Amino acid sequence: MKKIILFLFVLALSFSGCEKDDICDANTPTTPRLVIGFYDFLNPSLLKNVTDLKVIGDGMAKGVLFNGAETTNANTISIPLKTVGTTTTYRLTLNSGNSNAALVDEDIIKFDYTTKEVFVSRACGYKSIFTLDPTTPYTHTDPIAANQKWIKFISVEKNNIENENETHIKIFF
Amino acid sequence: MKHTLKSFFSFFLVLSITLAQAQETTPKPKQEKTNPTEISKSKTSDDSQQIPDAPLTLVNLEPIVKKSDSIPVKTDRYGVRVGVDIYKLTRALYDKNYKGIELVGDYRLTKKYFLAAELGNENKTTDDDRVNFTTKGSYIKAGFDYNAYENWLDMENIISIGLRYGFSTFNQQLNSYKVYNSNPYFGEIPVIASGKKFDGLSASWIEVVAGVKAKVFNNVFMGFSLRLNRLITNKEPENFSNLYIPGFNRTYDGSFGVGFNYTVTYFVPIYKKKVKPAINIKTEKAK
Repeated sequence: MKKIILFLFVLALSFSGCEKDDICDANTPTTPRLVIGFYDFLNPSLLKNVTDLKVIGDGMAKGVLFNGAETTNANTISIPLKTVGTTTTYRLTLNSGNSNAALVDEDIIKFDYTTKEVFVSRACGYKSIFTLDPTTPYTHTDPIAANQKWIKFISVEKNNIENENETHIKIFF
Repeated sequence: MKHTLKSFFSFFLVLSITLAQAQETTPKPKQEKTNPTEISKSKTSDDSQQIPDAPLTLVNLEPIVKKSDSIPVKTDRYGVRVGVDIYKLTRALYDKNYKGIELVGDYRLTKKYFLAAELGNENKTTDDDRVNFTTKGSYIKAGFDYNAYENWLDMENIISIGLRYGFSTFNQQLNSYKVYNSNPYFGEIPVIASGKKFDGLSASWIEVVAGVKAKVFNNVFMGFSLRLNRLITNKEPENFSNLYIPGFNRTYDGSFGVGFNYTVTYFVPIYKKKVKPAINIKTEKAK
């Protein structure tokens, strides 16, 4: 009897050293990206595909990857916002890498926002959600003043960026 | 881990039951009873042929049978058992993130039932991958234990199953955290120091306890128990969660938890009660 009790004590103590191994599930909504939809300027209700669009964050060497490639021909893109600080600047280049230099066009959009950290779970920790600045949510410039901007109009659809299920920004070109 | 622990425990519980079974000493007067009748029968049959020489043995046998029927008087001691959880007390020696104490006590109500309670205080810093926080608070657990162990003569060991209601008040301090970003285009996000404090939190739960207590010498008992908890109420902090609750331990998604303690207790006897030999009366009736 005493042997059994002793053995159980040892057993119970040995289990106390075990650690958890939970990891953040990929399906858990965490920090959302900014979802941008591209629309036809002449027919604003229609989505329009971009051609070889390259999106590079300010100060970054490489572009944001879309399905593993730096350029995309889709009509919707998702790009991350910086969770440290309150502005993120992106250079959006249309016809990137095109041999005809006249077609390559670069626009710069600076997004201004505030962040809020929301608790998710033990495994995921916190996530950031963003609120675009109500007065100047974005600043649209062109690096070459003489050049005409390829983006004709930008419309903010959702000020609060809380998930990736909706389009937050519409770009018309 | 939980499941293996459980199965281990149930295995040893089964073992201990067989031990209890082995203690059952059923009186064996039947054999001795049949002998005299046989002898007397044979005696009558033999009467006609031979002079009997059996009577001496007959007289000798009867008192022996009566002796084996007499039962030594058994007394149960009733009183209060008080002690501490050694595991919590010693953990502070090797774990700098933990300080805690748990006082345990029980009072014997009847032969099998004990009123039981635990009172504790904990100060624990949990360092997870994404959050680091400190939980401070006190808790109380109250309920009963049922002793399923049949003791020999004056043994006082306990193998019990019990139920507790636990209540804890505590505060949480978030020391640091990480923001999860599945798209680390701008690089990994550094750990953010917080220091935010969440006061006035509370939780209550139900606990199923399986425990063992063995008398090591005089009135000193050593024991341990395994506990399965289920949360009933949980007052959560805003924009954080009660990932650890004093007394309940780590919380999981499904509001279940586990715990154990390892106790040294001292028994303070208050009064004694004679045990009525209920089993022997039954066997006599059966005869």
